[in-house]
Amino acid sequence: MALLEATAITKSFAGVQALRGVSFALRSGEVHALLGENGAGKSTLIKVITGAEKPDSGTLTVDGQLVPHHSPAAARALGIAAVYQQPTLFPDLTVEENIALALERGGMWRRVDWRARRRQARELLDRSGAEVAPERTVGTLSMPEQQLVEIAKAIGAQARILVLDEPTASLTDREVARLFRVIGSLRSEGAGIIYISHRLDEVTVIANRVTVLRDGQTIATRDLRDVDRAELVRLMVGRDIDAIFPKRHVPIGKIALQVNGLGCRAAGIRNITFEVRRGEILGIAGLVGSGRTQLAETLFGLTPADDGAIVLHDDAMRTESPAEAIRMKLGYLPEDRRQHGVVMEMPVAANISLANLEAVSRNGLIDHARERGLAWSYVERLRIKTPSIYTEVGSLSGGNQQKVAVARWLAINPEVLILDEPTQGVDIGSKSEIHQIMVELAEQGMAIVMISSELPEILGMSDRVAVMHGGTIAGILSRTEATQEKILALALGQA
Amino acid sequence: MLQRHRREVSLIVAILVIGAVLAVVAPGFFTFANQRDLMLANMPVLIVALGMVLVILTGQIDISVGSQFAICSVATGVFARMGLPTPLAGAAACLVGALMGGVNGALVAWVRIPSIVVTLATMVALRDGLRWVTQGAWVQGLPPGFQWFGQSQAASELITAGCAAVLAVGMNWGLRNLAAGRVVYATGSSPNAARLVGINPRLVVFAVFVLTGALTGFAAAFNAVRFLQIPSNAGMGLELKVIAAAVVGGVAIAGGRGTIAGTLLGVLLLSMIGPGLTFLGLSAYWERAVEGAIILAAVAMDAVRVRSGIHADIVSAQAA
Amino acid sequence: MRTSLVLKQRRPWPEICFPNGEWVLALALAVEIAVFSAIGENFFTWSNFFEVVRLSVELGLLALALTPIMITGGIDLSVGSIMGLSAVVFGVLWRDGGLPIAAAVGAALLLGCLAGLLNAVLIAKLNLPPLIVTLGSLSLFRGMAEGITKGAENYSGFPAGFLRLGQGYLWGVVPVQFSVLLVAIAAYWVLLHRSAFGRTLYVVGFSPSGARYAGIPVQRRVALLYFLSGLVASVAAVIYVAHLGQAKSDAGTGYELAAITAVVLGGTSVFGGRGTVWGTVLGLFAISVLQNGLRLAALPSEMTGVLTGVVLVLTIGLGRLRARAQRNEATIDEADSMKNSQLAILCCAVVGGSLIVAGTNIWLMRSLRPADIAPARTAARPGKRPVIAMMPKSKGDPYFISCRAGAEEAAKEAGVDLIWDGPTGLDPAKQNEVVEGWITRGVDAIAVSVENSAGISTVLRKARARGIKVVTWDADAAPDARDFFINQATPEGIGFTLVDEGARLLGGKGEFAIITGPLSAANQNSWMEFMRQRVAAQYPGMKLVAMRPSDDDRDKAFAETQTILKVYPKVKLIVTISAPAVPGSAEAVQQAGRKDVFVIGLSLPNLCKRYVHDGVVQAVVLWNTKDLGYLTVYTAALLVEGRTGQGSLQAGRLGTVEVRGSQVILGKPFIFNKANIDRYDF
Repeated sequence: MALLEATAITKSFAGVQALRGVSFALRSGEVHALLGENGAGKSTLIKVITGAEKPDSGTLTVDGQLVPHHSPAAARALGIAAVYQQPTLFPDLTVEENIALALERGGMWRRVDWRARRRQARELLDRSGAEVAPERTVGTLSMPEQQLVEIAKAIGAQARILVLDEPTASLTDREVARLFRVIGSLRSEGAGIIYISHRLDEVTVIANRVTVLRDGQTIATRDLRDVDRAELVRLMVGRDIDAIFPKRHVPIGKIALQVNGLGCRAAGIRNITFEVRRGEILGIAGLVGSGRTQLAETLFGLTPADDGAIVLHDDAMRTESPAEAIRMKLGYLPEDRRQHGVVMEMPVAANISLANLEAVSRNGLIDHARERGLAWSYVERLRIKTPSIYTEVGSLSGGNQQKVAVARWLAINPEVLILDEPTQGVDIGSKSEIHQIMVELAEQGMAIVMISSELPEILGMSDRVAVMHGGTIAGILSRTEATQEKILALALGQA
Repeated sequence: MLQRHRREVSLIVAILVIGAVLAVVAPGFFTFANQRDLMLANMPVLIVALGMVLVILTGQIDISVGSQFAICSVATGVFARMGLPTPLAGAAACLVGALMGGVNGALVAWVRIPSIVVTLATMVALRDGLRWVTQGAWVQGLPPGFQWFGQSQAASELITAGCAAVLAVGMNWGLRNLAAGRVVYATGSSPNAARLVGINPRLVVFAVFVLTGALTGFAAAFNAVRFLQIPSNAGMGLELKVIAAAVVGGVAIAGGRGTIAGTLLGVLLLSMIGPGLTFLGLSAYWERAVEGAIILAAVAMDAVRVRSGIHADIVSAQAA
Repeated sequence: MRTSLVLKQRRPWPEICFPNGEWVLALALAVEIAVFSAIGENFFTWSNFFEVVRLSVELGLLALALTPIMITGGIDLSVGSIMGLSAVVFGVLWRDGGLPIAAAVGAALLLGCLAGLLNAVLIAKLNLPPLIVTLGSLSLFRGMAEGITKGAENYSGFPAGFLRLGQGYLWGVVPVQFSVLLVAIAAYWVLLHRSAFGRTLYVVGFSPSGARYAGIPVQRRVALLYFLSGLVASVAAVIYVAHLGQAKSDAGTGYELAAITAVVLGGTSVFGGRGTVWGTVLGLFAISVLQNGLRLAALPSEMTGVLTGVVLVLTIGLGRLRARAQRNEATIDEADSMKNSQLAILCCAVVGGSLIVAGTNIWLMRSLRPADIAPARTAARPGKRPVIAMMPKSKGDPYFISCRAGAEEAAKEAGVDLIWDGPTGLDPAKQNEVVEGWITRGVDAIAVSVENSAGISTVLRKARARGIKVVTWDADAAPDARDFFINQATPEGIGFTLVDEGARLLGGKGEFAIITGPLSAANQNSWMEFMRQRVAAQYPGMKLVAMRPSDDDRDKAFAETQTILKVYPKVKLIVTISAPAVPGSAEAVQQAGRKDVFVIGLSLPNLCKRYVHDGVVQAVVLWNTKDLGYLTVYTAALLVEGRTGQGSLQAGRLGTVEVRGSQVILGKPFIFNKANIDRYDF
């Protein structure tokens, strides 16, 4: 008997049909991967399962029992827990309280047992492999740390049905391995796990079965032993796609960016030396917390360096502010798309022109015709799917949002472009498009620095790979030298 | 610890400095009689602030408390004149306050109008509505047992002080140690996450507005019984005093962070300044300027201290 | 081909004009205009249009300055106080500093910039929340204005060329300051909606961290806005001074709230990111048309607040509903979408709740309302009865309420219609606005209890020039600005009587303290001036040791008196010169058990009876307020009919009343004490 069974679920949001008759069954003791491009209906299905949304029609059964009234609380009572892609934690509260709020039941007027909360938090954090002090405020934790807290919550809920929505998006490989151990032990205890990820390698490692959604419909449910990657991709996108990284050989030109002994105490990086040439893609690998993003932010002037030199156009300079970095034709696509990459509430056009308003304005006044022209040229060039350039970016899919964010930086005509996790949380189709764009840019002579936690991406896209460890560069590998093992060894500080 | 309670520390330092100056220059400030009078005079601010903390913690604000206070004051008197015993009249005033808070809360929680807009509207509407209805007349001819609840002055003052203290201590404890209190923090910190753990954030928002209304009624009733008549323009500017006390006391205006203890320190600091300056013999003309300067100094103090710490402005920029 | 096609694609015009649902507000404004055109007199005229505009200029400037600030998610509560401080400094530099007017204006603007800079540094540089900072600087700036002027100093007598800025007309119809407002609107429109700078402000509002990552210097942008807001507030101050012809520390009191109301009403989101200049302008006029229309329709001004509240909730509420319906995609996150039926029930519940609140209040209050005040609407019937408009200093004050009782009585006897209206708050410019409204409405006579002589005289002269009879009562304006002054008591008489009575109680020597109304109240300040003179001249043994403000708040008077009793134990006399404050002082003395302290003051017998009988209050100085109201209306009625004689006039039940020059003498101030107080009921 299925642990959880969703039958013919439909759900629409004011006319937009998000789910059109999705059926899905989860057995106990299995990891069931849910695949689909962004917008395929995965998130909505998850929300229906966790009670965050009520379906328009269709039934949901747990242990063969019909679930009549669905709400987050009811789902919790049935042992359904979810770890979302964006951690849904209370930033102002401590880790222990975040865990307790998710687990504790009882009346509003019951007394809080702080000691028990701490004990519980310690134990769960240990089990999830997180090295986080329970009394820390969640707002001060890094993204992966927050995700681990979410996982601890789910473990604590003794969930029989655990939903993991892109849990590894911001985790390092070591943390991923630890997570998989946790998943394995949960599975052996009889829990059913719904696992959503865009990383097919992971899915093939951890999952038993896979269900593919497309356009709000169930396309297929397969045993993972019976399918190969190519077929999965075909099922997801409905067409054959070149899943191989499109890196082509590009002649490498002059040095575009030279960094000598760069350090910034506030950002926690020190003594960083490397250079990037025109037409080159330099991959930056490393564990989360190794200083990759901090390096990018220092180069971009968000945390001005206090040591060393940055040489752009043969000019030694220190970027004191992002505005200055932009003037020097250095662009930075930040890691957190929703918070930093785009302004969700603003139209596509305004987002694209934002970093280079001078180009679309005359005497400080915005020339709307020019802005329209600029926006359309990038919408065309990057194949951004949007109803209009006045559509709010927030209503686009993740991949298209990311393309808008990339377009903003292309609009400054950068000579050096730093991309921080450019394909994180982006569906497969958009992901390969973004890779394609990177190659085209390199061909045009741009120097690209790409930070990524996904090793295949690093290996597939980079001409050279710089591996960071403990706030500095542990080693730089050429394309031919770089292997997963070597990168990991450097990232772990074992080389 | 220090990092977490830095606003409280700043406040205690400010209070101690002012207290020390007063102790040297005007020791009369610390007499029992003066402290008692100060406490009673600021009791309305304190009690209303208890509710306001909750409202601000949930990420909302209520600037209509001054108007609610005026209406509840008059209501207390009218009920008493109708023959209700004073405690019952006070309870009825609490109900009136809760009703007004309920209207605010419903508009904020379910119609989803930002709280500052809702309470700005009810602030002017209630104040002008009361003026329209009363034409500015005071409630006169209260029954003889009205003042001091029919008790002696000392007994009544003790009751008032006791009730305020029990409320303050109780709410401080409850906010920290009861599930209901933590729910308030959770709602303010992230309504979305709150929903996912089974909290109904709208209900919480509604409830804190109702509670604030009821507390305002409570404060109005306790304030009314100290006098023989009830003016219809009470509580002018109360909202600013209360909000100032809360934010100076370290309650984050965006919600989720802050304590009752800090707010009490805020009330204490702000209530010391005015009379303190009188004790120091400062001219009334400059009093308001000094008050403003002290508020600014108190909040600037911990900001400056933070900056000397590690990359704090990145943290605060992200928090903003 | 596609490119050329899409390049032509523009934003649909409703989205450009009403990005935040401003059409709801535009509709509300249209309804207001339609209704008031029907029920208000002379409402739908060009001259009234320009009057509305004139009265909106200062507020409009502040609202404009606040719009970009609120778009970045901030707030500036200190704008009204900056106005006060700039006005005062302007006055000081011009009159006492001897600077030419242009230099004084420059200095005032500079000061506004400095004030804005202080906010900017604290908010942008130190990263403090704008609400707290400007809450503090609100007190600081207003307090500095009070400190510099000792509350009382009123700078007036500015040259005509300067006054033209606030009182003159271009081409005979367009108020001069309208041009300033137009320039400001245009400038802010360009800044927000056309410039690259403005674009970045929206980004800051939506996502401050996102703005940083896009290379926008967030701190510098935000700082500039607060700086600009200081500058604009001081421009508003200069216009305000030219408009009223006076500079005083209470300039702009409460304007911050009115300005915020206009901005919010205009659809600017308090969370930042959304808002338009056009919406703010609509919001501004929705409020000022409402005020003006109610005045012209002779409806009580309290309706302004009530209706503003209703309009605010309705427009923003409707805008929210519309936004929710439109942005269905976004609500997926919010998840708990509500059905329309539920929403309707909820709205009904809210409306029902409000009605219960309103209903119970009205029902409860009935018993309170003084029986002899007829409902306000006796006017507006288009008979040929003369209309007399009468204004107190403040509508909520018990003193004026008792005056009104007499006024209504006289109106009935003399067969005239009475409009009773006045300011409901402390804003000194409100009296002018009310008179302007009456001039437009075309009343036959205006009777004003003057708050600020210099300020109101200009507008009263204008009324006289239009053939309206003008009477002042309670407090006088400039003699050429009115036909008669109903003199119930001169400031001199009041001051001297109070001191004499106090000296009698103290035996001519000892310390005393004064509790006044608001620090900047003109009347109280002139009484205090005469009290000081009298003490200096006649009673060298008496010493004024403290003067504290009560803000006309009984509870504050109570607390201040308590403090005085402790700080100055030798004080044996409290002189409280604000009607609502006397019971407060009396209660404080009584509760302190200080039988040796006398309380005298200026108040109504009914408020003080119990304290007089208890022996706490020894004397209350006042005149018969009912008679004052009665005589005022009677005199105005006689004036309209042209039946005022020389030397005396026949005023109904009061019989023959002495007229000295252009002053109608009610009688001397009266001292109520234990022996006689029970004979009076007002």
